[in-house]
Amino acid sequence: MTEHDIPYVNLRAQADEQMPELAAIFERVVRRGSLVGSGEEIERLEARLADYCGTREAVALNSGTDALFLALKVAGIGAGDEVITPPNSFIASTAVIVHLGARPVFVDVLADQNINPAAIEQAITPRTRAIMPVHLTGRMCRMDTIMELAERHGLRVIEDAAQSIGSMLQGRKSGSFGHFGCFSAHPLKNLNALGDAGFVATNDSAAAARMRRLRTHGLADRERAEEWGFVSRMDVLQAAILDYRLDKLPGVIAKRRENAALYQRLIKHEKVFVPPCRQDEFNTFHTFVIQAERRDELQRHLRSIGIRTAIHYPVPIHLQPAAASLGYRRGDFPAAERQAERILTLPVNQYMSTADVETVAGEVLAFYRG
Amino acid sequence: MTRIELPLQPNGTKVPWSYLPRQFDARSVEEILDRLRAFVPTGDFTLGKPVRAFEERFARLIGTSHAIGVNSGTDALKLSLKALGVGPGDEVVTAANTFIATIGAIAENFARPVLVDCTDNFCMDLDKLEAAITPRTKAIMPVHLAGQMTDMPALMDIADRHKLPVVEDSCQCILGSIDGRNAGTFGLAGGFSLHPLKNLNVWGDGGIIVTGNDDFALKLRRLRNHGLADRDSVVMLGCNSRLDSLQAVIGNWLIDQVEFITATRIKNAGYLDSELAKLPQIRLPQRFNNRRLVFHLYIVFAERRDALLAHCRKAGVEAKVHYPIPVYRQEGLQQFGYRKGDFPVTDRQAETMISLPAHEHLTAEQLAYMVQTVTEFYQG
Repeated sequence: MTEHDIPYVNLRAQADEQMPELAAIFERVVRRGSLVGSGEEIERLEARLADYCGTREAVALNSGTDALFLALKVAGIGAGDEVITPPNSFIASTAVIVHLGARPVFVDVLADQNINPAAIEQAITPRTRAIMPVHLTGRMCRMDTIMELAERHGLRVIEDAAQSIGSMLQGRKSGSFGHFGCFSAHPLKNLNALGDAGFVATNDSAAAARMRRLRTHGLADRERAEEWGFVSRMDVLQAAILDYRLDKLPGVIAKRRENAALYQRLIKHEKVFVPPCRQDEFNTFHTFVIQAERRDELQRHLRSIGIRTAIHYPVPIHLQPAAASLGYRRGDFPAAERQAERILTLPVNQYMSTADVETVAGEVLAFYRG
Repeated sequence: MTRIELPLQPNGTKVPWSYLPRQFDARSVEEILDRLRAFVPTGDFTLGKPVRAFEERFARLIGTSHAIGVNSGTDALKLSLKALGVGPGDEVVTAANTFIATIGAIAENFARPVLVDCTDNFCMDLDKLEAAITPRTKAIMPVHLAGQMTDMPALMDIADRHKLPVVEDSCQCILGSIDGRNAGTFGLAGGFSLHPLKNLNVWGDGGIIVTGNDDFALKLRRLRNHGLADRDSVVMLGCNSRLDSLQAVIGNWLIDQVEFITATRIKNAGYLDSELAKLPQIRLPQRFNNRRLVFHLYIVFAERRDALLAHCRKAGVEAKVHYPIPVYRQEGLQQFGYRKGDFPVTDRQAETMISLPAHEHLTAEQLAYMVQTVTEFYQG
């Protein structure tokens, strides 16, 4: 029996709403024939993203993963270095550290799923070079505390802002606190391309120039390779689409905040923890995650009545097979491990109506009433 | 014979290098837009159905069992080496005259590129290959530069004797073949680029790897998508290097034309060969009866090359040089200790080679105009 039909994401609604404009963008870009690497669309988007994030520079790249990778690389992170980061992120956050020959050092998280600043300080060793906080779900980490800590210890800060474009702490945007802010524009993000895309925001113009070389084979111009680079260019097509959608981002965020606020008002139950918003934070709700008892059962029940949910992420990184060589064990990060068994991501996208949100909240509560 | 005069194209040349504005004539753009209008509402943007369809069609086209779509030709090479376990301290043998991405793919895996000079077919000189193999060699990466073919049967004999895996850099050699066997199918794997200026292209960066090995294919599929075996299980540390579904939609549209594109380039090159061979100042690269060269680039060796290049440009022929500074002399390669003069054939070619447009959108008049332009330069 399927009572409802509430999808987790609704890319079809976005396509229906925007298709004429998207088709016009395809046509415009393609007729000009400049499809890769640089050009007007890339420069325009970079300028607008920098302006939006409140940084001097933004560098358009192929993905959020590549944004983290190149930011760490230009921050000088390499073999033997340690980077402190939480274990409850998407795998890409940790993989880029390993790919640079550095060592990810995990620290546990707070009740709101974000990195615990007190635990960071305890994990600092003489080999620590950087901190990579993750603004999970669109909620800002305590960047004020983290930056103070980083300055005291002379560490670089690379913000994993893949899920937090537009989020703020004390009126300041995510990605503008650390030395680098790394964003994803994957199709499921609040600012989304029609394929992979990402960017780095920074105030360091020399680092930005270097990333612009590294993203295209290390080439300074067509003939001169200054160092070994990569291919991590944002497609011009995707840049043009993001430029168009950037105008819509405030509306997307406003609707998601409205949906989230309604959830927060409606879902009040002893079996369900909904991390509250702090006074000084502006959360953009890339995802809306609750921490629920009998989570798997709840998810199955919601699915059976036509409500789609997701889990971000069911297996903490330190317990993934790929992380075996790092030497962590179950029990090392009790908060993250406990949350992994309880977290459930409810649909919160901007195409949900108030009635949809009320339906989902009502069914969650009904599940516990039994 | 009357002198040919051509009108200026929109980009200010008479024989343009880039054919992209032509690929996107009104009818084609409408056809592709229709496909995109149908695709975008599916929301199937990441490793979706169009990618799987393109991979199947590409594997069939090349004549192998697996094709894996990735973010670029460079990544196709990088991930193939990574899947082989190439890492710090290892050596990979490749051609000295290649595009920097080949070396970049090796360097990205922290391995050392060991370079071998080329012959006048732009490919690795196999007489010098064995001397470059050491106990640290982990793989051989021949480069089918410009659509030429490395002598793969001979190279595979050497590789097999040393029990070394071969990854073919086929980025510029889609549908190039030897005795009917396609580039990319001789070695363990072949990497192709789908960059907008390749013979089969998409509308952004893209690449694809072919292999006949099931296990290797599975490993590559995981490596390109964060090492994920399924949505929640990370079995190895991977990257994000996926061919966008959106780009696969374009690829699926263009793949029907790739035989025509290839045949037309070969025909254009044949015409240029026969006409330019009449000039004593022009020398043609080696051609072979049993090799199908696909002329991603049409390159000849020219006396007074720089002056010829300037002359062509002035006459509106958008000639280029691939590549004026050999990769081993680039700043980025200093760490490997190569010096000018280490690869004399590569050096000599860098000073004499010139690339002329040979793409499928050239008219007979444009081809004749190019011949006229080069002839006038030498004969006044």
